[in-house]
Amino acid sequence: MSNGTSSSMATVWAILRKECRSEWRTRYGLNAAVLFAVTSLTAVTFAAGRMPDQPEMLSALLWITLLFAALSSMSHAFVREMEGRTLLMLRLVASPTEIAVGKLLFNLLFLCVVEAITVPLFMVLTGAPPLRLPQFLTILGLGTLSLAASSTLVGAVIAQTRSRGALFAAVSLPLLLPVLASGVSGTRAQWDGMPIASDARLLAAYAVALFGVSLLLYDHLWED
Amino acid sequence: MLWRWLIFVWIAATMVVALLSAPLVPVLQETTRVLYFHIPSAWVTVLALGWSMINSMLYLIRRDLRNDDHAAAAAELGLVFCVVATVTGSIWAKSMWGSWWNWDPRETSIFFVLLIYGAYLALRASIEGEEKRARLSAIYSILAFVAVPPLMFVVPRIYSTLHPDPIINGSGKIDMDPMIRWCFFSMLLGFTFLYTWLQSLRVRVSRLERRLAT
Repeated sequence: MSNGTSSSMATVWAILRKECRSEWRTRYGLNAAVLFAVTSLTAVTFAAGRMPDQPEMLSALLWITLLFAALSSMSHAFVREMEGRTLLMLRLVASPTEIAVGKLLFNLLFLCVVEAITVPLFMVLTGAPPLRLPQFLTILGLGTLSLAASSTLVGAVIAQTRSRGALFAAVSLPLLLPVLASGVSGTRAQWDGMPIASDARLLAAYAVALFGVSLLLYDHLWED
Repeated sequence: MLWRWLIFVWIAATMVVALLSAPLVPVLQETTRVLYFHIPSAWVTVLALGWSMINSMLYLIRRDLRNDDHAAAAAELGLVFCVVATVTGSIWAKSMWGSWWNWDPRETSIFFVLLIYGAYLALRASIEGEEKRARLSAIYSILAFVAVPPLMFVVPRIYSTLHPDPIINGSGKIDMDPMIRWCFFSMLLGFTFLYTWLQSLRVRVSRLERRLAT
């Protein structure tokens, strides 16, 4: 048993490394997401001006920018396999769950990079008041987990439809609306100096539920 | 055949009793009456979406297309009843809160449910091949149902809302006038049977469609 677990850990690790390498070679997804985040931030701050004293606007804008930047390229992980016709090869060497978990970890990493670029830029461009880091990172981290879990599963489903990438944002976004709502409310609360416990609890519950269900469903992603 | 008429008579009779002779709740006044449509629709929504999720799971286990018919029909009907609950709620909000739509946590969460299942139907429409469609939509339907309990039951209890206390409230008992309670549960039963009938109808239609296609 322990041998089997360690070998699937090795497979997951190998898939994660493969994902990182092929992303690094083209930087297609990362470029798209970062460019999207930067241009939408520019558009927003240019249109609305700096607003250091409006936490409710700031938190909404931050989450919308993050969510759309992520959704603009997160279906890529699976669509790339379909377009390159490499999925069959991948499935010969790994089980569906291993593939999906590897892609999930890659998506998490990808989101962290996008956030590490977007959030500081957002702070500078909008002149937002300083963040209360522990609270903010809790909300952001939990939101990122839900985002990664849902986009991995939905991305794998969408890659098999007729329209491939086109439908991804439309189908993912409704599932992520609860994350957006409590993420915005938690971010606003940390700027206002209010407790974030109820938002964090809701986000955590949602993330855990998405993760649990995803793990059960990965096996059914592809037909033999 | 006969029980279809029974449902009709049952709901019509309850409606007459509820609208003519049941008393009004002090704060809600005349708007009490919306309760007989609003809550049963919301209940049927959860029931239908749950049934869709159960059938999606059964499909993934057994790979029987009849389960997929049930899952799709239940999601469609859940969406229809969700629209009824949203519209009746909105009408009630107009007379109690003074505006049709105010992004109260209750309104927000039911709207999210509408969007999620709208996306489910959009996804179904974009997949070619029966079995692939059944399998992929089953996956999405199960994932979608993860959002339903938090949205329908948790959000309204965490965030402050102006919505009247849910039936299963903090005190754990039902504070209703006996007459209202009688009408309410009778309507709940009527709506449940109405849903079962519509569900069987929709499933039969999908089965016939499949037979015609092959």
